[in-house]
Amino acid sequence: MKREGTKNLRFTNVFLENWKNFAKIDVDLQRRVFLVGPNASGKSNLWDVFRFLHDIVAVGGGFQNAVQDKRGGVSSLRCLAARRYSDIIVKVSIGNDDNPAFWGYELHFNQDNLRRPIIKAEKVMKDGTLILSRPDSDDRNDPKRLTQTYLEQVYANQPFREVADFFLSVHYLHIVPQLVREPERSVGKTKDPFGGDFLEQVARTTDRTRTSRLRRIQDALRFAVPQLSALELHRDPVRNTWHLRGKYEHWRPRGAWQTEEQFSDGTLRLMGLLWASLEGTGPLLLEEPELSLHPEVIRFIPQMFARIQRRVGRQILISTHSPDLLQDEGIGLDEVLLLQPGSEGTSVYPASHFQQIRELLTGGLTLAEAVMPATRPQNVRQLAFFGD
Amino acid sequence: MPDFSPVVISGAVEGLLDEAVVERLIEYVGGSLGPVYGRKGKGHLLQRLDGYNQAARFAPWIVLVDLNTDCSCAPPYQQLLLPLPAPHMCFRIAVRTVEAWLLADRERLARFLGIARDIVPSNPEAVRDPKLTVVALAKRSRRRQIVQDVVPRAGSGRTVGSAYTSCLIDFVRDPNTGWRPDVAANLSDSLNRCIRHLRRLLA
Repeated sequence: MKREGTKNLRFTNVFLENWKNFAKIDVDLQRRVFLVGPNASGKSNLWDVFRFLHDIVAVGGGFQNAVQDKRGGVSSLRCLAARRYSDIIVKVSIGNDDNPAFWGYELHFNQDNLRRPIIKAEKVMKDGTLILSRPDSDDRNDPKRLTQTYLEQVYANQPFREVADFFLSVHYLHIVPQLVREPERSVGKTKDPFGGDFLEQVARTTDRTRTSRLRRIQDALRFAVPQLSALELHRDPVRNTWHLRGKYEHWRPRGAWQTEEQFSDGTLRLMGLLWASLEGTGPLLLEEPELSLHPEVIRFIPQMFARIQRRVGRQILISTHSPDLLQDEGIGLDEVLLLQPGSEGTSVYPASHFQQIRELLTGGLTLAEAVMPATRPQNVRQLAFFGD
Repeated sequence: MPDFSPVVISGAVEGLLDEAVVERLIEYVGGSLGPVYGRKGKGHLLQRLDGYNQAARFAPWIVLVDLNTDCSCAPPYQQLLLPLPAPHMCFRIAVRTVEAWLLADRERLARFLGIARDIVPSNPEAVRDPKLTVVALAKRSRRRQIVQDVVPRAGSGRTVGSAYTSCLIDFVRDPNTGWRPDVAANLSDSLNRCIRHLRRLLA
């Protein structure tokens, strides 16, 4: 069956009320997003919205599971700045460059007297038309229905299956190099967001896919690590285990092979992130890809993802603390989201929203120089007094 | 036994593209690029110029700065920034930015960008903002990927596209179809002087 005429879907807007740190935000999202903010400003909490939508549609998931089991219930989700008992509202637009709001999904929820999560409203918009609006008359006759979304129910979500499939395709990743190096630490895990089954995943793909992906990773890495002349998966015949190895050109005329045990933590992590960005087409959430990388390599990360993205086209949402990463002059101002904590919750705006940042760039500052001071924690000077 | 290992030249540059150009130039004259400093813009580099110059008293160095529109003419500017260059210092100014040196190999750049050779300016040093010119040329490219990489999206608020730097680095580094310093030097006097100076450094 031919899919409906929507290609390269991405989240184009997110609107939240009373979600964790965010009392109220409404922000557009580009195909590549860099989320910048001080510690504890809610970077992970913002990405968690997309994981939440994924958890609702995931196999063995569902609305109750996503709120109660995975996130400790409505009261731990609700923003501290929220007025008592307000509904939590999650609203996303999904589309592409031609039609940014092709789909809209909206969920309002709260808890009942027994602290059970309960749906207050669920809406789906398709191309500007409302195709689902709950609570409907059935819900009013049988309030129990409001403990489940239509989204998670295969027989109810058929008119907007594409939305459910899209949420299911959201992937979260926070690779830990030690786990990749010693896969036995996470035996049996599949789709481990921390990278424990990374090598197995690589080995499981067909030869053709693997070769083409490794070639593309090498292509993305080439201009940052020019000495790397080849990348391949190699089977250790004695121990019957798989190893990723890279060939480096140097003074030996034929270069030398290194396995993942010899790769630096940073290189290994980077390969994992690049591999993941080639696997699947849904939005990819990455936490601090700069960790354990050399600052000189971090500067290449935005270009690497731009190169990976140009063929895959998937949305990449990155949270970062790194000024080195933001030095890249190809990062659009609308691709950078700034988190600013305040007494009424954290606000989120694209860098293009601030006239000052635009002026500083015109005056020759790099994006990092213009943006980082704005993300500095407001009480960082008080921290300095602690030791006195 | 005579020593055939190439002379190692340290460098200081404004950015990643400049680094690739310097690397290519040093390789072209038969040297080898050592550690590279700076890469954080022009201001950062100029502040540390005295330090680089000090180091160049004993070992070969190249420092490359864009002229931009800071001065109408390179030689007096060079004199102003570094009146007393050290013996092993190759301090060069690109007129007006390093992109002009890339424009100067019209044939290869046109082929790389997928445009007609005739629309590449024949006097690159007279181009006021070579970076914008490269972007404007890429806009007319027949290849979608070039447009995607080099031209900024509407609404990005930037002057270049998301993979501009790495795309041009690819052009500079490709030995077979990429940038040719010798050809480009015919159209760019500042590049020509830079190559001659590097040769003197190796002699």
